[in-house]
Amino acid sequence: MGTPYGGFGVFALFLLFLPLAVTNDYYLNILIFIGIHSIIAMGLDLLMGYTGQISLGHAAFFGLGGYISGILTAKWGWTALAGLPFAILGVGLIAWIIGVPTLKLHGHYLAMATLGFGMIVFIFFNELVPLTGGPSGLTGIEGVSVLGFAFDSDLKYYYLVASALLLSLLLSINIVRSRVGRALRAIHGSEVASSVLGVNVARFKVAIFVLSAVYAALAGWLYAHYITFLSPSSFGFLFSVKLVTMVVIGSLGSIWGGIFGAALLTSLPEFLFVFEKYETTVFGLILILVMIFMPRGLLRGIEDMVLRVLESRVKGEGSKG
Amino acid sequence: MDAAPLLRTEGLSRYFGGVKALSELTFAVRKGFIQAVIGPNGAGKTTLFNVISGVFPQTSGKVFFQEEEITGLPTHVIARRGLTRTFQNLRLFSEMTVLENIMVGMHLQSRGGFLASAFRLPWVLREEKRIREESLGWLDFVEMTQYANIPAASLPFGKQRILELARGLALKPSLLMLDEPAAGLNIRETEELAALILRIRDNGITVLLVEHDMDLVMGISDHVTVVDQGIKIADGDPETVRNDERVLKAYLGEE
Amino acid sequence: MSLDQQILQYLITGVTVGSIYALIGMGFNIIYNSTEIINFAQGEFVMLGGLFTVTGIRVLHLPLPFAALMAVMAVALIAILFDVVAIRPLKDASSITLIIITIGASIFLRGIASILWGKEPYPIPAFSGEDPIPFFGAVIQPQSLWVMGITVLIVLGLRQFFNRTIIGKAMLASAFQPKAARLVGIDTRFMTLISFGLSGFVGAAAGIVIAPISMAQYDIGIMIGLKGFCAAIIGGLGNFWGVVLGGVALGVLESLGAGLISSGYKDAIAFGILLIMLFFRPQGILGKGKGDRV
Repeated sequence: MGTPYGGFGVFALFLLFLPLAVTNDYYLNILIFIGIHSIIAMGLDLLMGYTGQISLGHAAFFGLGGYISGILTAKWGWTALAGLPFAILGVGLIAWIIGVPTLKLHGHYLAMATLGFGMIVFIFFNELVPLTGGPSGLTGIEGVSVLGFAFDSDLKYYYLVASALLLSLLLSINIVRSRVGRALRAIHGSEVASSVLGVNVARFKVAIFVLSAVYAALAGWLYAHYITFLSPSSFGFLFSVKLVTMVVIGSLGSIWGGIFGAALLTSLPEFLFVFEKYETTVFGLILILVMIFMPRGLLRGIEDMVLRVLESRVKGEGSKG
Repeated sequence: MDAAPLLRTEGLSRYFGGVKALSELTFAVRKGFIQAVIGPNGAGKTTLFNVISGVFPQTSGKVFFQEEEITGLPTHVIARRGLTRTFQNLRLFSEMTVLENIMVGMHLQSRGGFLASAFRLPWVLREEKRIREESLGWLDFVEMTQYANIPAASLPFGKQRILELARGLALKPSLLMLDEPAAGLNIRETEELAALILRIRDNGITVLLVEHDMDLVMGISDHVTVVDQGIKIADGDPETVRNDERVLKAYLGEE
Repeated sequence: MSLDQQILQYLITGVTVGSIYALIGMGFNIIYNSTEIINFAQGEFVMLGGLFTVTGIRVLHLPLPFAALMAVMAVALIAILFDVVAIRPLKDASSITLIIITIGASIFLRGIASILWGKEPYPIPAFSGEDPIPFFGAVIQPQSLWVMGITVLIVLGLRQFFNRTIIGKAMLASAFQPKAARLVGIDTRFMTLISFGLSGFVGAAAGIVIAPISMAQYDIGIMIGLKGFCAAIIGGLGNFWGVVLGGVALGVLESLGAGLISSGYKDAIAFGILLIMLFFRPQGILGKGKGDRV
């Protein structure tokens, strides 16, 4: 793993100066979305890549984070900042309640349970009209302001999101490199062997599920107070699939994989905007192709390719490259 | 020396549908002993391990560890009490390095949780250092220090077996159960294994092993229990058991 | 309509819809039994069945039965292609990889459908007219009878196929014990191929027979596929009669819930039942571990 803190430092500097390279508010807008999606993807990667579980319903936690704080601000006049702890704790509690029975399942059953949960939450977003505004959406959500300083421009919000991203990244790195991270990876390797060594497998699985939900809730909070409008259609099955795709394509179990995948998949529609009609088709095709040819994800796939090229150079003549 | 056995079972049974994998099995393991469980193939030896360590539930009967009942307890709780095991089919954490595998073995010797780890509190950092040092110590004990940073899956098979054993040692168990530790090892490796098991016993850890390799069993065991089709048919020191008629019949009869 | 009659009406709707869920769930089971894979693209087979039939009728001016036949063959072919191109190379991949591939295929097929057919719904004429048939105070649409009838036919046909024909028995054998099957000369890869083809056939049939009621459209696959999968899980994944039971039970519960409680939450009922089954009896009503296969 080298020195991830070194990489973190470089990344932090990169994020700090990135806006200078951006000529246009529209691109800043995209960067903000990449940042928001990266936070969810990182949490999901802890769950899927490190602990070996799967969730096809994470859009629900993203939406819940947004709606909890959104409703508190739009309907009851709370500030965005006050809404944050409630969004996080609320989602954490829900994730814990649903997580305990869900994480007893494995493989397809686990996937379907998370999918079912995600769908139920989505339907509730649509149906609880007095609370959520239903399909027409929730409007009038406050922007974020801290001690009188309002994050009311794209640039300011970019730095807010970037800070949240860096904080989440730092926490992820710390967890992964610790006893907890080892326990999670051990669970991924073999649940039986882990438990025989004293790891409380069920508790860890639920804990990481809750943590990944909290990451999504934070992202949801950032999203709600940026757009100041929420509509259930952003939080359906397709977005859950997109999230899983970000993590898998980025590379499971590599801290940067989630960010890479999020960056790729968030900006992809921008490149395809001319071919908007084809966006879904291309997305599906990319999924299939990457899974067939680079199942460990793009980051690892590229890493493997580079290593193979280097190896064949070192071997010199007589190698088949 | 404790008169009470470290581990004992009472009428332990495990049925799978119509198959009686274990039938009213009662036996005991004395503290400080190296004890072997042997028997023809399919005799139920691994099932016995699975039930004792909590991997499968028992159908009836009881298990006592240090005179406290552990029947039906979850596996990780049993591990907390000081009982751990290895696996016949090797369950290493193949994506982790050799050293990391051992460090997982030290899970119960440490306390750092999510919050403390996420914020890198000083005591967690100190604990990490200690875990790393002690794990290296265990690698040294089994003479595998040079493999510390390679992925466990890349180890030669014989070393993988030793790694799984060392991982169990890192837990500092009172009882270490080894499920066919010599399977797939050549003669030299088996001799090294035997010496290692003796050293483990000399360090105060009781060893219970399931084995097919008779030389290994007879060579190092203090006590042997023979199981056939889930039933205990002999129980005593190696010499007595080796000459027991029922044992001979069980083994020869199967050919 | 009195309450009794209303409930009867809901039951009729429920059994109709439930038959479709059963058929779709059957498609899941066929593939699951031979490959242990959950094919998330199953719903798209349903969708394509309807849309191909629309094309057959409107563009090729075929009479309905021929258009349906063509559609069913086309979808079976697509399913087989999917096996060869995407599933076969990855037989040993992790379950997450396989889940994602079938999800990717589902998205891809939906995308293609939206390009070829656009996003509007297309009606198909009802097979034998639309005059409702009175039934104890409620009414049955003739198309509902077609749905139930064709479901029964397919279910019985599959039963015969798996129990009486050599190929069917070979498929069961290679699902239960692939190694032993290979030893007696069964080509398990070919069996998998057939199972995909069959699954496509069954899915398309479901799509065609329901289209007169709920229209053919590029995105009907998702929900209906998920519910078909729920039916399979409720009955016991891989279990033949289980999925029939599960499908009908799901359809009826959903219909009663929508009629008597609230129609907005209709879909939540299906997923709620799914969660309850998964939490308390994941092997399903009729499942007993790896017991009863298709």
